[in-house]
Amino acid sequence: MALADTPVPAALRTKRRRETARTLAFLSPWLIGFGVFFAYPLVSTVYFSFMKYDGFTAPTFNGLKNWDYVLNHYPSFWTGLGNTLWLVLVMVTLRVAFGLGIGLLITKVRSGVGFFRTAFYLPYLAPPVAATMAFAFLLNPGTGPVNHLLGELGLPQPGWFTDPSWSKPALTMLAMWGVGDLMVIFMAALLDVPKEQYEAAELDGAGPWQRFRYVTFPNISPIVMFAVVTGVIQTMQYYTQAIVAGKVASGVIGGSGQQFEPGYPHGSTWTLPQMVYNLGFQRFDTGSACVVAVILFAISMAFTSLLLRRKSGFINED
Amino acid sequence: MTLTSAVRLPVRASSAAAKVARRRAALHWVAVHSLAIAAALFFLLPFVFVLLTSVMSDRQALTADLWPTEWHWGNYAKVWQTPGFLSWWRNTLLYAGAGTLLTVVSSVPVAYALAKFRFRGRNLALMAVIAMMMLPPQVTVIPMYLFWAKQLHLTGSLWPLIIPMAFGDAFSIFLLRQFLLTIPKEYLEAARIDGCGDLRTLLRVVLPMAKPAIAAVALFQFFYCWNDYFGPQIYSSENAGAWTLSYGLESFKGAHHTNWNLTMAATLLVTAPVLVLFFFAQKAFIEGVTLTGVKG
Amino acid sequence: MDTTRRTHRALAALTGTACLALLATACTGTNSGGGQDGSAAGQDVTITFWHGWSQDNEVKAIADNVAAFEKLHPNIHVKVVGNIADDKSEQALRAGGDEAPDVVSSFTTDNVGKFCSAGVWADLKPMLQKDGIDPAKTFPAAMLQYSQFQGNQCSLPLLGDAYGLYYNKTAFAAAGITAPPKTFGEFEADAVKLTQADGDGYKQLGFMPNYHGYESTPSHFLGQYGPGYFAADGTSDIATDPKVAAMYTWQKGLVDKLGGFDKLEKYRTGFGDEFSAKNPFTTGQVAMSIDGEWRTASLAEDKPEFEWATAPFPVPDDQAASYGRGYQTGTIVGIARTSKKQTASWELVKYLTTDTDAVVSFANAIHNVPSTFAALDSPKLDADANFRTFIDIAKNPHSNTTPASINGGAYQVSMQNLGYEFESGRQSDLKAGLAATAKEIDAAVQQAK
Repeated sequence: MALADTPVPAALRTKRRRETARTLAFLSPWLIGFGVFFAYPLVSTVYFSFMKYDGFTAPTFNGLKNWDYVLNHYPSFWTGLGNTLWLVLVMVTLRVAFGLGIGLLITKVRSGVGFFRTAFYLPYLAPPVAATMAFAFLLNPGTGPVNHLLGELGLPQPGWFTDPSWSKPALTMLAMWGVGDLMVIFMAALLDVPKEQYEAAELDGAGPWQRFRYVTFPNISPIVMFAVVTGVIQTMQYYTQAIVAGKVASGVIGGSGQQFEPGYPHGSTWTLPQMVYNLGFQRFDTGSACVVAVILFAISMAFTSLLLRRKSGFINED
Repeated sequence: MTLTSAVRLPVRASSAAAKVARRRAALHWVAVHSLAIAAALFFLLPFVFVLLTSVMSDRQALTADLWPTEWHWGNYAKVWQTPGFLSWWRNTLLYAGAGTLLTVVSSVPVAYALAKFRFRGRNLALMAVIAMMMLPPQVTVIPMYLFWAKQLHLTGSLWPLIIPMAFGDAFSIFLLRQFLLTIPKEYLEAARIDGCGDLRTLLRVVLPMAKPAIAAVALFQFFYCWNDYFGPQIYSSENAGAWTLSYGLESFKGAHHTNWNLTMAATLLVTAPVLVLFFFAQKAFIEGVTLTGVKG
Repeated sequence: MDTTRRTHRALAALTGTACLALLATACTGTNSGGGQDGSAAGQDVTITFWHGWSQDNEVKAIADNVAAFEKLHPNIHVKVVGNIADDKSEQALRAGGDEAPDVVSSFTTDNVGKFCSAGVWADLKPMLQKDGIDPAKTFPAAMLQYSQFQGNQCSLPLLGDAYGLYYNKTAFAAAGITAPPKTFGEFEADAVKLTQADGDGYKQLGFMPNYHGYESTPSHFLGQYGPGYFAADGTSDIATDPKVAAMYTWQKGLVDKLGGFDKLEKYRTGFGDEFSAKNPFTTGQVAMSIDGEWRTASLAEDKPEFEWATAPFPVPDDQAASYGRGYQTGTIVGIARTSKKQTASWELVKYLTTDTDAVVSFANAIHNVPSTFAALDSPKLDADANFRTFIDIAKNPHSNTTPASINGGAYQVSMQNLGYEFESGRQSDLKAGLAATAKEIDAAVQQAK
């Protein structure tokens, strides 16, 4: 009756209900995905971090024992956290700087732009496992071409993936080799910088460095920010290259009395994500693996919240 | 920029100043191109060395020689005949193909809704998409593995890798949304006036305009699946019949007792399709990468 | 529209999935096994057998063995899958899917403790009893010991491995050495004599002592000392057992004598794959190596350009009387507790591990040490002198193995890590290193309990 008395709001309500249904229908695949592949496993990871569970016998409550084990007794935890943070600091910084440099270079090139752009971009496409194996070969201290060439030039020949103080730099080099994605992003951003600003700066007598400092950089800083934050997030998940480099360089097959040493050499390539795999799928200590996963989640989300800050320019409104 | 200004200067300058400017421009040109060549060597030489080693004899591959004394192209045939190599290919193609298709089909409507519908909680949903995008897969892998293994008994197959793609991929959704934001409202309103429903608007009006973004998303997803190592290692590796190229390649050196020459040949065989695809779809790809960094 | 309908159908199917997921935490219960099948009554049964062998001759040998079994049991069919690593088979067994194997074998006895204590592999004792097999009278004591954990016989030995010395006779003659070394003192002298420098590398190295030098691992060297690894109360005793410290010190001394860690490490990275014709011993890059008996088969096949022979690995000078011992281990085979075809699976395991002809022919084919008394004494066993060395090592009462631990080989990883630190000089205080490593091992065992 009330409906009949107020026909306009009723139509509106129907429309609104229809719109809600429509929105839900469009979002439905992702809503399910969010529940099943994000929310549920997150809650479950936290739950398992307090349980003793070997993936076989029923889980039992374990209190804070897993946390205590990982933080105080699992010797490679702090090594792995340290390595991950090293990579976040050094690898991300160098990769972004190098990507920007290559991006700048390509905008200055006048002849053969197409060739250079393709050449600079190509390594980014090499599948990580393949690229890592190729680098393990290239940088092999005994037989690899890199040390061979360094030797010819009379330069020192580091042990690269077999030397704990060189393995992370070698991984960093591998990351810089695949800098193509950043190069393209920076190239596009650099070409978008208004020409008039350069001209104005030049009239004011600005040199190349000043032009970069006061014109180029302010214009592309959101892109730099984007590159840094996504770089950090990717590096938090750094897994494949580290594990493959360690396995291939160590040459260990594994057998009785000959266990594979994770993070070869000397734990220097050991990262948080590898720890989840080692604890969860090799030691079958689900609880401790989930402790590491929760820690990894906390750190990643801290970085993500940086990205979600409005002024980062990552989310734009229509 | 320096170059153009150097060229423009001479109009009013004396001829001596013009000469200096020309010389500076030439020097600049040489400097830039030498740097570019050095960089190109850094990026391309690894491919060259890998190719050269892949055709060496077993014995030579264990020396520091750079140039093969004999060219053993048969190494490629040997790799090709490795037991399982063909099934790794088939599995990888299946994973990448089905994964890409499902991702596109499931992500487009979500991205459209996030970009063009007004509803309560839209910002929250967007934040959730970004959070998912940023989540390291290792965080959720333990419960996910138990879910696929204990509830659905699907581990040791490609299903745990493919099925989740039917539920929208956060990165693809985000990318598509960024692009769809740039489509002017007027087009959608015009379609509505013509009597199109939302779905028809999406299919008839939006999809054709979003083709480049969809192509980019599809390519990214294809590469993601092709390169994925962690997923196959967790979910499918316990059944040798479900190995993918990335996983098989890693086990290749250890398990089949091969030397660097065969390993490098295998490496190139796994990389080749990606490079070929790139040359065919270069434009879409570069546009896609640019899109990820575009701030609208 | 078509798409809407599809979305709806998918929605329905996937809501189900979602609900399942939310329930998942609640029902990750114990997998109960013990399924019997009809193979005893003559029904056709197909079982899956996973193993880790991958070399051509090994794969062929196991196929022959299985074919002989199928001939004896025409109603049991065996699906053989090779080249499976331990982690993967364990992962599959714990997951318990349809593809999971019924019969599993593993190269590393290190994992027996994990398999038995978690109940991933079934206890074979009832089946042995039912068939009237007395394990103590069938299998050598050391092998029986490494295939069980705290009284649970969850696996049986399927051929054994023993570690000894391989030496290049041609290089020995050239260096004027007449007999293989018997003590570490002689060994060190010979290794130095056999080493020929080549610039900052080697033309030939006497022995590769670095712990990444393939089989040169702490556990294998410790086989010459015979430590117990764990005290009676189950805690690690490596910090107090003088044998352990002695081994680390001996190896470090050898590393320094032969050119130092860095130089050796660089040489090592030029080695070919361990399990290939490019093994550094086969290529002549090293003149002596510690290796398992299987190398006799690959050397016979690869035909290196020099004469070679085998002997027991030398022993510490103060334990000279124990010469003839070595590190001992073996392949083990067991049955998945979740298998629904345990009757047929047991038939296969019984055949593989106790049938004398099967054990002997398999041992001959892949040159492993046989794992039953009957097979060790069988006249059909290969009489090759180089191979006999290892049979004698296996029979030697001083031979030593790494004991099963509840968390598998984790304690050996810890000991290896200490080895890497000590050999490279990053850790110079061995005593402190051993104490810290013992603590780390205890914490890991505690966590796994």
